[in-house]
Amino acid sequence: MDFELDYLLRQLPALRAGILLTIQVSAIAMVLSIAIGLVGASMRVLRVPVLSQLFAGYVEFIRNTPLLVQLFFVFFGLPAIGLTLSLFWSGVLALTLWAGAFQTENVRGGLSAIASGLREAARALGLTRGQYLRLVGLPLAVRTGLPAILNTCVSLVKNSAYVSAIGLQDLAGVAFDRIASDFRAFEMLAVLLVGYLALVLSLSAAVRALEHRLQAPFRA
Amino acid sequence: MSYGFSLIAENAPLLLIGLRATLLLAAVTLVASTVIGVLLGTLATVKARWVRMLVALYVEVLRDIPLIVTIFTIFFGAPFLGVPLEPFPAVALGLSLWGGANGAEIVRGGIQSVPKGQREAATALGLRAWKIYLLILWPQALRAVLPAYTGLLALIVQSTSLGALVGVTEFLKAGGLIIERSTVMQGINPAFEIYAFVLLVYFGVCSVLTALSRRLERRLGRASAGIVRTPDAASL
Repeated sequence: MDFELDYLLRQLPALRAGILLTIQVSAIAMVLSIAIGLVGASMRVLRVPVLSQLFAGYVEFIRNTPLLVQLFFVFFGLPAIGLTLSLFWSGVLALTLWAGAFQTENVRGGLSAIASGLREAARALGLTRGQYLRLVGLPLAVRTGLPAILNTCVSLVKNSAYVSAIGLQDLAGVAFDRIASDFRAFEMLAVLLVGYLALVLSLSAAVRALEHRLQAPFRA
Repeated sequence: MSYGFSLIAENAPLLLIGLRATLLLAAVTLVASTVIGVLLGTLATVKARWVRMLVALYVEVLRDIPLIVTIFTIFFGAPFLGVPLEPFPAVALGLSLWGGANGAEIVRGGIQSVPKGQREAATALGLRAWKIYLLILWPQALRAVLPAYTGLLALIVQSTSLGALVGVTEFLKAGGLIIERSTVMQGINPAFEIYAFVLLVYFGVCSVLTALSRRLERRLGRASAGIVRTPDAASL
């Protein structure tokens, strides 16, 4: 079978919609998962009883179970007990919970890298532990933990392709559908390879550029 | 809720078939990934620059493309090349190419963690290149790569679940079949209980491997720390 550029061009609108959905799902999950990370890491570092242990368990559970099964649990399992979400939000929820676990670890890593003197200084100034986190700890942790946080964001974009498994028409979903209905494997697989490589590589390049800029004050 | 346990007990044979397929798939992938990983990881440390760049390109591409896309590419692409693959070998191949890329990164780090003087001394003694790797570098790298490699195995076990999407009756698919069957035959939807159970079993298997990886890391010291990074699930 030949590679048909005409066919590919006709599919462009659908593929564009797919890429937009990929970006949309990833962007929402990115923001929510970082929020989870900030809250989770704070609970862990402040050793808030119960919540701290809950977050620790949550992180372990997510890290040691497959994303695909988590997705199926959210999309097929939760409706069975009456918690029905739309296709879109099921995908977003699963990706958010998944990435949230890694972001919790990333922010926690950033927090633990802060010199203990800063914490003592904050206490000497009369800041409460919550104030310390809000005014000193988290801003610094986000900065030192930024490479890890952004790497997780890149992984999130890549792994958003999993939502095609529950039928969402993201980039992967559109391409897989076209392969099944039009038998256009070459064209669509080429689109997938180029599409995801472009997304991931441009994001990682942006991450590296940002890291470089943030390092500026520390360079000679 | 109440029928959850009896349903799992009733369908134990099917679940065991699924679990066996999952473990077999993971074992095949582990072996093939190791072959690819050792080969490419070693090539990533040779002198020739173009060889290192080719390996880096392979690793980068395989790690940047979603694994689900790699597997679908092989499963749906193979027939168009005139070599239709059954689901199991297609998934095993896709997982191995991906696992090999991650393995190569680990092996490369392991070899690079061996102090430079070792290679220089071996060269000075007149050892041939392959002997330097076989007798000097690989044995010492082994120590450094073990923790990361155990971590990779946990990721391989997790990623075998993708087999369910192309028709391998592994553990996740077995769970899906039970749900379908009970919906059709008994009119109940046990998706919550079954998928929760499936999650728990994966958690059991993988957390043992993760714990082992951490233990090895402590036991084998920090020789490899910072050089050989244990891949985490984010790199799936």
